[in-house]
Amino acid sequence: MVERFCDWLSNTRISQLFSGADWFVPAVQTVHILAMSIVVTLLAILNFRILRTKITGPAPDTLAANYVPVIWIFLMVLFITGALLTITEPARELLSKVFRVKMLLVIALIASTALLRATLHRDSHLRINSARRRIMGRALAITILVLCVAIVAAGRLIAYA
Amino acid sequence: MTGIQIAEALERTPLAVAIAKSIWLFPLIETLHVLGLILVVGSVAILDVRLLGLGNIHRPLNDLMRSVLPWTWSSFVVAAICGALLFSSKASTYYVNVPFRVKFVCLGLAAANMIAFHSRSHDLPNFGPTPMRARIAGAISLLLWLAIVSTGRWIGFTT
Repeated sequence: MVERFCDWLSNTRISQLFSGADWFVPAVQTVHILAMSIVVTLLAILNFRILRTKITGPAPDTLAANYVPVIWIFLMVLFITGALLTITEPARELLSKVFRVKMLLVIALIASTALLRATLHRDSHLRINSARRRIMGRALAITILVLCVAIVAAGRLIAYA
Repeated sequence: MTGIQIAEALERTPLAVAIAKSIWLFPLIETLHVLGLILVVGSVAILDVRLLGLGNIHRPLNDLMRSVLPWTWSSFVVAAICGALLFSSKASTYYVNVPFRVKFVCLGLAAANMIAFHSRSHDLPNFGPTPMRARIAGAISLLLWLAIVSTGRWIGFTT
């Protein structure tokens, strides 16, 4: 079923147009990496701020209010460039187990980031209400950081799978 | 000894041979290199956008530099070490590769731009818009890092 979809997609005019241009894949991958840079760096700064016990700089909720909207915008850029790469080389992406794992990790990252944003909205320092919320905030921060590393690793390993 | 001879000698070192022969070492080091590069580019972009007045404009410049620059430097160290290891495994191939050479020229220019900017950054206003020289430094930096990522990607398609 997926193989047939890949065959159909790779025979469409748009897929052949993209794959026929030597510059297209490197150019789109460059934009994909640049968008990934913004998303991963903002998530790293925000989540390490949550994990830090020493209180300096902006509060986590201020950082989240500034960074999360930017993260959503660049996740859209990642989605669009990822879709373009999939249209260009459907079999390389859709038939790869590593690609499927990467997509699951991306969904988990989006859900975790949305949950963190909502939690910070309720409790700006993740410490006012209860120890339980503080532990949950830290667990979420670690989960997001691990997901970021795993997504970057999976993205690179698609080329080797 | 010519450049290509040095590259060939580097390629024959035990570590370079181990990386070239291993199934998992090259992808592992490449993943760490990409992770380092992503954090360098992201942190540099956050500061450059502030210098250009396009974002983070309400955050004091000193405060932003204090929180972002440790990320830039520590990630750069990781990216540089991993990059050197990747280079050693196919040194003679990369040495003659045009995108690789362009990437290195851009890295040198980005470093020079950063040194020039930081040598005169102490008198920058902490609040509000930055002077024209800081905006130019930010724009040049963004363009150079775009070129570094782009040429880095092209290496994979030309070796």
